[in-house]
Amino acid sequence: MKRYNYLAVCIAALCNIPLPGYAQPSEKSSVRLALTYNQLNYNLPILKASAKTKKGKKFEPVEGVEISFFFANETSRGFAGRIKTTSKGEASMVLPARFKHQFDSLSTCLFKATLTSNDQFEDASAEVEITKGKIELALIELDSTRTISAKVLIRNDTGWAAVPGVDVKLVVRRLLSDLSAGEELYTTGETGEASASYALTIPGDINGLVTFGAKIEDHDLLGNLTTTKTANWGIPLKPDNTFAKRTLFATRDKTPLWLLSFPNLLIAGVWGTIFYLLYQLIKIRKIGKTSSTT
Amino acid sequence: MNTIASPSAEQITKALLPQKFGRAGTIWTSILVVLCLAGLVGYYRQLQNGLVVTGMRDYASWGIYISNFVFFVAISLVGSLITAIFRLTNVEWRTPLTRISEIIAVSAILFAGMIIIVDMGRPERFTNLFFHGRFQSPIIWDVIVITTYLTLSILFLYFPLLPDLPILIKNSKAGSGTQKFYKFLGSFWKGTTEQFRLSEKAIRIISVMIIPVALAIHTVTSWLFATTYRPGWDSTNFGAYFVSGAFLVGAGGVVVAMYVFRRAYKLETYITEKHFDNMGKILVMLALLYFYFNINEYLVPAFKMKKAEEHHLMGLFTGDFAIMFWFAILIGMVIPVITLIFPQGRKPNVLFVMGIFVVVGAWFKRFLIVTPTLLSPFLPIYDAPESYSRYFPTWEEWAIAMGSLAGSLLIITVFARYFPIIPIHETIVEKTFKS
Repeated sequence: MKRYNYLAVCIAALCNIPLPGYAQPSEKSSVRLALTYNQLNYNLPILKASAKTKKGKKFEPVEGVEISFFFANETSRGFAGRIKTTSKGEASMVLPARFKHQFDSLSTCLFKATLTSNDQFEDASAEVEITKGKIELALIELDSTRTISAKVLIRNDTGWAAVPGVDVKLVVRRLLSDLSAGEELYTTGETGEASASYALTIPGDINGLVTFGAKIEDHDLLGNLTTTKTANWGIPLKPDNTFAKRTLFATRDKTPLWLLSFPNLLIAGVWGTIFYLLYQLIKIRKIGKTSSTT
Repeated sequence: MNTIASPSAEQITKALLPQKFGRAGTIWTSILVVLCLAGLVGYYRQLQNGLVVTGMRDYASWGIYISNFVFFVAISLVGSLITAIFRLTNVEWRTPLTRISEIIAVSAILFAGMIIIVDMGRPERFTNLFFHGRFQSPIIWDVIVITTYLTLSILFLYFPLLPDLPILIKNSKAGSGTQKFYKFLGSFWKGTTEQFRLSEKAIRIISVMIIPVALAIHTVTSWLFATTYRPGWDSTNFGAYFVSGAFLVGAGGVVVAMYVFRRAYKLETYITEKHFDNMGKILVMLALLYFYFNINEYLVPAFKMKKAEEHHLMGLFTGDFAIMFWFAILIGMVIPVITLIFPQGRKPNVLFVMGIFVVVGAWFKRFLIVTPTLLSPFLPIYDAPESYSRYFPTWEEWAIAMGSLAGSLLIITVFARYFPIIPIHETIVEKTFKS
């Protein structure tokens, strides 16, 4: 066996053929890792990491690599979880509930994402440090004037303090994306408040309920924050009762009468004739049996 | 009945009786059996692992199974063309071709039904179509019309076979399993005047009835596509387009089959050059008709070139499917028409090649009708992997599709082994009458 190995190495060296067992490890590609902090309605935050690698002049997503997430410090105690990236090179996770107490007690939090021990890619890491913030959303209706008001607060040693000069989006949340409630962006004033008067007439749910939201995006200190609230400021949706009628789209027991009667008449006519033909066959059979007995 | 005893009748009987497989027949049958078994292996894997073993994904949810289904339905239409239309219009030379076309119809429609079940992810739920099916769905119409057409085609094969069964009983080995089978099918046929009268009446009724049912089966199949709003399918022309294509492929199938049976069973006296010449003329007419519908189907949308349909049309004309598209148009229509308009082109050998061209072209044409449309949706699926926008069948799909085609040919082959492929009694009567 040893002799064979020696021979194989010699031949491979002569012919410049890479052998699996003896091949030099290929060069690893570098990865650019990014981490964002996202919080919705004071829940535990969602950590989103994205991995990209440079191919030619373009950055392309890295699919199928495992990203490890850490809270506070990169130790086994701070290990939050490990997620594989999607085809878009993204991995995200909600901070596990076991960190809730620790998360609630801190005013500044550090999160880290790392990529280590990968065969194809070099080690990479990204971290994000945020100061905890929140948006208080109020939906006010006074004399048929509707206002959406958002107050941005930041946590300090003494409690919560208003933050002026922060860009806030005030939106109506729809199924696939958010719809601006007024202007594209509002900036908080001295009191940390930004407000928009709401004059849209859009459909809500069956009770006219519409979900509103206030969003801060990519803020250096606060990360991504979203707060939502519902109010019956939409036009109540009238359910489409077409399914209860005899239509082409209804259930089988609601087949339109014309569609039920006309084809069934045809089917009855054709199958009636087929049974008549079978009857003829029986008659032919009977004649044959009678003639053979006589 | 006296005619059967005449010497010429004996010669006809001897020439037309089914024969045992020779070496070529055995090899041919073995190949078909192997292909069928490969198809079964593919289907076993599909049953075990689900439709994920196929190349079908969210976009191309219909692949070569449905193409095969449309092909089978199309070729089955030949039963009504040759047997019913020719019978009703008193086409004299039809007799040697009627049984060939009817067995093609029966075997094709049988496998059309089967391939639909193969395409189902949960075949055990097939009965739900009957118990919970909605009459508003064209799929239910298709199930009904296929069942009806299959029943009528079997009857259309069986009634004219009745007078041949006593001949088969008489000429088979006494007490053998084959003879028992023949007796089971037709020992009651004594050839009495009343039996002939009833049988003729039944055949006349079927001849009339099978034409609208045959048109319905392929029209309804076209509606499976045309009732959905998709590029390439959203057409009011689809029923006529499908029916004309079906007549063409059916006639092509008969040409191929009559050539093979003529060669294999030495039937030159019965399937003459005149038959080939006539079938060649019919093929030209049908190919031109189908070509006309193709021009309507592609030229008009191409003239408008609506943005939403551009991807589909350009994919066919110059894109991913261009080679297949022009190949199908050329070998399925253009080359046969150019060849067959000349009398030399309607000689058996050339016509046989043209028949194969028409059938092969028709199979690819069915694929081009089904799949490219699905790969050109009006509204792309959100977040679908890029690979979903392409379709190539897996080996399981090829095995099943080829297995089903082989299965259909196997039915025809086995039928020809045990039954006369040219009606004996009808030929005797015809020859006697002529003489």
